[in-house]
Amino acid sequence: MVEDKKFIKALSKKFAEDPKGRKMTKVGLGIEQSARKKEFKEWGEKISKERGISGYDPMAHLGGIPLGQRVLMPYKLSTTDTYCEGDDLHFVNNAAMQQFWDDIRRTVIVGLDTAHNVLEKRLGKEVTPETINEYLHIINHAMPGAAVVQEHMVETHPGLVDDCYVKIFTGDDNIADEIEDQYLIDINKLFPEDQAKQLKEAIGKSLWQAVHIPTTVVRTCDGGTTKRWSAMQISMAMIDAYRLCAGEAAVADFAYAAKHAAAVDLASILPSRRARGPNEPGGLQFGILGDIVQTNRIYPEDPARASLEVVAAGTMLYDQIWLGSYMSGGVGFTQYATAAYTDDILDDFTYYGVDYINKKYGGIGKAPATMDTVLDIATEVTLYALEQYEEYPTLLEDHFGGSQRAGVGAAGTAISCSLATGHAQAGLSGWYLHMLLHKEKHGRLGFYGYDLQDQCGSTNTFSIRGDEGAPLELRGPNYPNYAMNVGHQGEYAGISAAAHYAVGDAYVLSPIVKVTFADPSLKFDFSKVREEFARGALREFYPAGERSLIIPAR
Amino acid sequence: MVEYKKQYYPGASVVSKNRQKHMDPTKELEKLREVSDEDVVLIMGHKAPGEAYKSVHPPLEEIGEPDCPIRELVKPTDGAKAGDRIRYAQFTDSMYFAPSTPYVRAWMMHYRYRGVDVGTLSGRWIVEARERDVEKIAKDLLETEVYEPALCSMRGATVHGHSLRLLENGLMFDMLRRTELGDDGNVYYVKNQIGEPLDKRISVGKPLSEDERTKRTTIYRKDGSEKETIDKEVLDFIQRIHKSRSMAGFQLNI
Repeated sequence: MVEDKKFIKALSKKFAEDPKGRKMTKVGLGIEQSARKKEFKEWGEKISKERGISGYDPMAHLGGIPLGQRVLMPYKLSTTDTYCEGDDLHFVNNAAMQQFWDDIRRTVIVGLDTAHNVLEKRLGKEVTPETINEYLHIINHAMPGAAVVQEHMVETHPGLVDDCYVKIFTGDDNIADEIEDQYLIDINKLFPEDQAKQLKEAIGKSLWQAVHIPTTVVRTCDGGTTKRWSAMQISMAMIDAYRLCAGEAAVADFAYAAKHAAAVDLASILPSRRARGPNEPGGLQFGILGDIVQTNRIYPEDPARASLEVVAAGTMLYDQIWLGSYMSGGVGFTQYATAAYTDDILDDFTYYGVDYINKKYGGIGKAPATMDTVLDIATEVTLYALEQYEEYPTLLEDHFGGSQRAGVGAAGTAISCSLATGHAQAGLSGWYLHMLLHKEKHGRLGFYGYDLQDQCGSTNTFSIRGDEGAPLELRGPNYPNYAMNVGHQGEYAGISAAAHYAVGDAYVLSPIVKVTFADPSLKFDFSKVREEFARGALREFYPAGERSLIIPAR
Repeated sequence: MVEYKKQYYPGASVVSKNRQKHMDPTKELEKLREVSDEDVVLIMGHKAPGEAYKSVHPPLEEIGEPDCPIRELVKPTDGAKAGDRIRYAQFTDSMYFAPSTPYVRAWMMHYRYRGVDVGTLSGRWIVEARERDVEKIAKDLLETEVYEPALCSMRGATVHGHSLRLLENGLMFDMLRRTELGDDGNVYYVKNQIGEPLDKRISVGKPLSEDERTKRTTIYRKDGSEKETIDKEVLDFIQRIHKSRSMAGFQLNI
């Protein structure tokens, strides 16, 4: 049993009352209890005065009854000691959250092998470590938007695009040794030995470019721009580095390779009813998110922690940004999503599961992936989680509502099943058993749309035929049943990742994605998602894509 | 062949039996308070008491229905006959042993009433029906054992409260303060379900004792009357459903 509940510290600070007390004493305090709401009010008044159009006015809430009739409580970013206000976790108010998504959307991974084959076999050019380093020198000049071939070209201000660069990686240590350190993502240095071995075996001798175009470009355009921008600059850099004819047909091979044949998007395009280009959140598979997040590299002995970081990343991206804004609009989704990464609640449920697994099955990844295992672990963790809500009224009150309880309870349950078995489908099965149990025990679950997929989820858990199911790693936000329901997708990403982290896999779905996001030069540190979100909440995170160089000082 | 007897819900625990009772239309719900027809209309807030019902189509008798076996089989409700518009009643139930829960309300509604469209969420439950029909339903829901004055309330919007700690006077939190506890111990509606002030206070009676609440509740809680986190028969039944559905989805020949 977990003796010290992980969520007690946060609850005690948030409510400043007995966490087990059933009566609330602070009622009707209004927005004055919140520094952030007061700040909003001041700015609302200032802006209204300056522009002559009314704006933020808390008294407009429900005919003059402002927010804060109950406690407007702070939130603790789980595993950190940072407390912030809920508003600080909306992505509009959090620069780290914005950069998290910007860093994914502006990334494309482009193979170099096709281009090198064209150079050597068709054009008779010699490709050596020296020429590759020279190419990298040129591409790091060109990729942000600088000219390399033509006269009379405009260029982008380097100070506006300083987050843009290209590095390369390979599974071949001999080739890697020849690449200048500034351009190399060094697998041996960044990953634990056993993970590095797995990654290098998977990648082999192939060479890959991790391309990160400027944040400001994807913000002005979209994720579909990334590989187009990248391909143009790669083609130009090839011409410069290898002294090619700018007009000959062979150059088209570089463009085709960079834009299509050797380009790996992070996310696929979506059908017309949710139309978005590549590298937009709706096409980002759950398994890929498990590879983008890097915590399993830093804490290989703590797969639960790594899984929880994926949940945090996923709920922020899929719920707050994708469903909450791309698909729906408004601000409500943030309140749903934050429950999964604040106040150590999901952490408590998950580590309870880990404790149970260790005692009953002799360790993580050792239980048989059977229905009996799922029934056992899922029932145990579900009842534990629901009983905590009964025993600690402040825990119940911490969440906005039942969807959060359902999402957090099911995530703890499912991650436990994944960790026990090393099987993502077993984890998913635990999720749906939780939902059925939860609904019957408390007589309520989420809201109508929320419950939809959970009522029928048991049935499609082990279906793998197209349009009926898929291994969880390959499912994503556009999977039929998952396409519009908050409080699920980020958790699913965590469940699929947990299965792999449990058995020591270096990657969930893609070794090249894993290596690309291990790069310490990225603006966002993907190994500590919640800490970075906390920095954003505290206004300590410095993002890319700022425009201060080209606008008047305020 | 043994005659099938509908069980309605698994289990023999207090909570299971309460769920069975709520759902079983042959069992009469205990009436615990009186709320006049006029007061129900006031709390609902869709029209003034005595005001004619707004209609969306002429009475069915005037329309002259087509020859249709389904229409012969399914008799229209009074509201449908008259052509009433659809209106709603929405309830919030506290998790601290309110007598009903959103899903139990939904199941109960489908067994006991016709012509209803329910919506089931975690913090609220809504029923929509023809206006005169939903008034009758709301009256039942306010007067019988499925309602507890301190732990249930009609809330059209800003429903927040089901999972919050109770106020110091024992009432469920309501940002809009639609109800208040009177000096006489009765709970009064002072605003209608959407939060508009009423011209009069409407009593819905006194809250039940904690002991009475735990005997009447339909939520399984480990601090309930039987200290039972969930009925064992219910647990087994859910596991069986989950397993069966999983296997059915897996089999390629289905």
